[in-house]
This record gives sequence, C-alpha cells and structure tokens, in this order.
Amino acid sequence: MSHADATIAAGRPQDAAVRDRTRLARRRVGRLLLLTPAVVWMTLFLLAPIAMIVYVSFWTQYTFKIVPVLTTKSWVFFFSSETYLSALWTTIRLWVIVLALTLVIGYPVALYIGMFIRNKTTQTIVLVACVVPFWTSFLIRVVAWRPMLGTEGAVNLILLHLGIIKQPIEALLFTELSVVIGMTQIYVVFMVGPIAFMLSRIDPSVIEAARDLGASWWRVLRTIILPLSMPGVVVGAVFVSVMVLGEFATPAELSGRKVNMLGNIIVEQVGSLKWAFASVVGVVLTVLMAVIVALLLRLADLRREL
Amino acid sequence: MIRSALRWPLAAFTGLFLFFLYAPFGVLGILSFQSGPEGGPQFPIIHWSTYWYRHLFGLTPPSRVAPLPIGDALVRSLTLAFLTMVTATVLGVISAQAFREKFRFSGVVFYLIVLGMIVPGVLVGLGTALLANHLGVARHWWSTSFVTHVVYTFPFAFLVMLAIFNRFDRSVEEASWSLGVSPFRTFNKVTLPLIFPGVLSAMLFAFTLSYDEFPRTLFTAGGAQTLPLAIYGTFSIEIHPNIFAFGVLTTLFSFALLAVYGLLMALSVRRARRVAIQEDVR
Repeated sequence: MSHADATIAAGRPQDAAVRDRTRLARRRVGRLLLLTPAVVWMTLFLLAPIAMIVYVSFWTQYTFKIVPVLTTKSWVFFFSSETYLSALWTTIRLWVIVLALTLVIGYPVALYIGMFIRNKTTQTIVLVACVVPFWTSFLIRVVAWRPMLGTEGAVNLILLHLGIIKQPIEALLFTELSVVIGMTQIYVVFMVGPIAFMLSRIDPSVIEAARDLGASWWRVLRTIILPLSMPGVVVGAVFVSVMVLGEFATPAELSGRKVNMLGNIIVEQVGSLKWAFASVVGVVLTVLMAVIVALLLRLADLRREL
Repeated sequence: MIRSALRWPLAAFTGLFLFFLYAPFGVLGILSFQSGPEGGPQFPIIHWSTYWYRHLFGLTPPSRVAPLPIGDALVRSLTLAFLTMVTATVLGVISAQAFREKFRFSGVVFYLIVLGMIVPGVLVGLGTALLANHLGVARHWWSTSFVTHVVYTFPFAFLVMLAIFNRFDRSVEEASWSLGVSPFRTFNKVTLPLIFPGVLSAMLFAFTLSYDEFPRTLFTAGGAQTLPLAIYGTFSIEIHPNIFAFGVLTTLFSFALLAVYGLLMALSVRRARRVAIQEDVR
C-alpha cells in the first residue's frame, strides 16, 4: 500500500474522531447550560441560607437585636440551658419512637400491598387510598386529632359507651402520647410507599424457587424479602426522620405547647427576635439530622436503586 | 400454602390501618356540621346544621366567632403554588435531561439537588430570613417564600423526571437527530410528548407541596399571610368548627385537583397510544 493510499484510508476515521470530539464538547456545554440554573438556585437559596445560620449562631445577641460581633456566648447558653437540652432530648426521643412506630405499622401494610395484591389495579387503588389523606392540608390533619383524643373526644366516647372505661382518659390529648399518635398517622404513609414499591419489584419466581427448595416462610421473609426491601425502608426512614426532626406544629398543637422539640425552640426564639439563639438551635438540628441521614444512607446505595 | 395463612391477618391489619388514617377526617367531617355559633369543636352534636360552612363565606350574622381570614390568603397561596409549580417543573425537566448521561461530579450535583427536600423547612426558612435580613432584602411571599418553595419542590420534580428518563427509549430521539431535526425541535416534538405524563406528575407534586407548605413560609412570608399561615394563626386562639368546615372544603378542592390530574393523565396516555397505533398502521 502506498503512502497516499494510507492517508486517504485514515482520513475518514480521523474526520469522524474530530466530529465525535466536537459533538462531545458540544454536549458538555449543553449539559453545563442545563445544570447551571439548578446549581445556582440551590447554592443561593439552600447552601447560602444554611451557611448564614452557622454564621449568625456566632453573632452577639442583645435583647431585641443581633450584632455581627463574633462570640460563642449563644453556644455556651445553649449547652448550659435546661430548656434547650431537654428539647434536644425530646426531639431525639420522639424521633426514635415515631420512626419505630411508622416502621412497625407501615411494614405489614406495605407487605400486604406490595406482595399479596398481585392485581396491579387493586394495588394502585389501595396505595392511592393510603396517599389520599396526604392531600389534605397538613395543619388540618394535625387539628383533626383534637376532636378524636380530647376528654369529650370520639375515642373516649366510644370507650365509655362500650363500658371499657368508667372515666374518660385525660392522658390522650395534650400529652406526648397525642403528639406521637398524630405524627405516626401523618408520616406513616411515607414509610408504606417506598417499601411497597420495593416489594412489588421482587420477582415472585425467586420466592417460589425458595419455597420449592423447602425454605420456610419465615426464612423467605428473612433472607429474601427483608434484604430486598431494605432500600425502601431506608428511603422511608429518611423521609420520616427529616420530617419528624424538623417538626414544630404537631407538638405545639397536640401537646398544648407542653412538648417542645428543637423546632419549637427555633420558632419561639425567632418570635422574640432572638435570631442568634435560634441559629444555634438550627445548627444543632442540622448536625443531628446530618448524622442520622448519613447513618441511614449507609444501609443502602440509593442512587443505584432509582 | 402458608402464604394464604398470612394473607387474612395482613389484610385485616391493612384495613385497620386505613381506618386509623381516615378516622380523624370522619370525625372532622361530622363535627363540621355542628350547630353554631354556640356549638363547640367536640361531641355531642347539638343539632345538625351547615352554619359553619355559611360562616366561612360570611353568610351568617356577625357573632363572637371572627370569620377565618382566608380570602386573600387563598389567592396568594394559589398564585404562589402556580409560580412554584412552573419553576420547579422547568428546573426538574432540564436538570434531569442533563443527568441522562453519566458525567463528572454527577454525584455532587445529585445530592445538592436532593438536599432541598431533605433539609427541614424550619431551617431553610430560618436561613433565608436571616440572609434576607442581612442583605437588606424585604421578605414577601412572592420573593423569599417563593425561592424556598422551589428549593423544596424542585427535587421532587427532578426525581420524577429522572425516573421517567431512565425508562425512556432513546432511539426515537436519535432517529430525529439523524434526520437533521434540531435538538430544540426534537425536544418539543419527540421528547416532550413522550415524557408528558411525568411532567404532569411533577407539576402535581410541586403544586400541592407548595400550596400546603407551612414551615418554609412561616419566617419568609413577611407581613402578608398564605393560607397555611392563616390557618395556623387561628390555632393560637380558640378552635371553632369553622376550621373543620374549612378542612372539609380544602380536602374536596384537593380531590378536584387530583381528578383534573387523572383526567389529563388519561388523555395524554390515550394520545400516546393513538400515535403508537398510527405508527403501526404505517
């Protein structure tokens, strides 16, 4: 083959390579254009505000104003205040209780929806029935528990009528119990949805194979169903956790402002213009949430599952 | 089979679960027909009436119970939800479009976006209020509240669109490109009709989440109230059954919204099917 032939032969692939490279470069520019608005928006309106909370938590708090003179006074105040520390403890306690309850109540429901209803239409109908309450205003959902749980509420009336109790149970409303009941009802749906979704993706033949090979139902549950539904549990747990940790309306309304979470302290402090104190609580809440979410995410790789 | 032995207990449990979910609304609905203005927000029903519904619309003679300040707040909430819906959906579609190919830092960008739905609203609200104060920007529902609402709803739109694009047959687009159709026109004529059901879901998510958003609005709305703020304001005083009547009406409104969504969804699915059939015939 002559030298000239070789050049001609090589010409086309070289052109193609150049074309490929310009196309790739063009695509990269296009992607940059597509992503810029999102990244700018999230940086300005999410990262900057959070950074601002951290910054302001070191400002000096006067009675009705804050001054950008850096100090750790507000931090010292937080960790020496009985009220703040007990709010931190209440937040953690309520988080653990509500998370456990939503999982214990939500999992069997998800199991039924995801694995026992094989008809897709029925499955959708039951799932929609679970999600429908979510379409009512959040605050209305909270306040709906008041006529349920009060001393003259529906639960007490029914129990009295059935003769199960002689006196109305007063501990049902304006206690930590009512806050737990309310939050569980409001957030359990976020546990059911993701778990049911993961369960419905399990291939039935895997379970049949296990059963044919003599595995007990308990063993199938433990070695197939539970591990395969783990990503759903993690997603649900992340949802429930971040929502419970940031709560303030439900405890305020259902405990008569007796149960105070970190969110309640923030609202209260902002109300009396104690922005620096509110920021300290905000940072504590952020750190708490970050630790919990990071721990939960270690249980499953979520991006792979999408 | 043991599976059938498990079936009925689980079905019964699910039934109880649904009862647990719905019971408060049932009670709320019943008590919204309490007589007024003397009837309180609890049992027994003194006598059935639609007093509190008329009270909502200002059709009752003035009494000691002040009417809910909802008129302007409702308009604000609907406007805000609409603006949020449009912005969040557009952002969601274009960012998910960028995510269709793997790229460097895709993990970082992914978590930056998802962070928006994970950070508790009370924190985002607090931070935005602090930042606005620091920069001397006035807080309004259409400015500071709007941007935090988008921060919250955009990740939902993004995830919905990501899931849609994952199941997307890319060869139709490539066919369009190779025929010399411009990327913009391809997106309009080929991609958008195919992803439209996803876009509808993203819009529904963004609208309802923003319409109902409370913690993010609390510190950022400035003087004028949105609907959730107005409702929260009435909680701090005494509760009257007018809130229950209002709850029933908002729930009905949400159902209407869901019905519109279902209708649009059915239409777009039918259209997609018709196009597919036409292609088969050709």
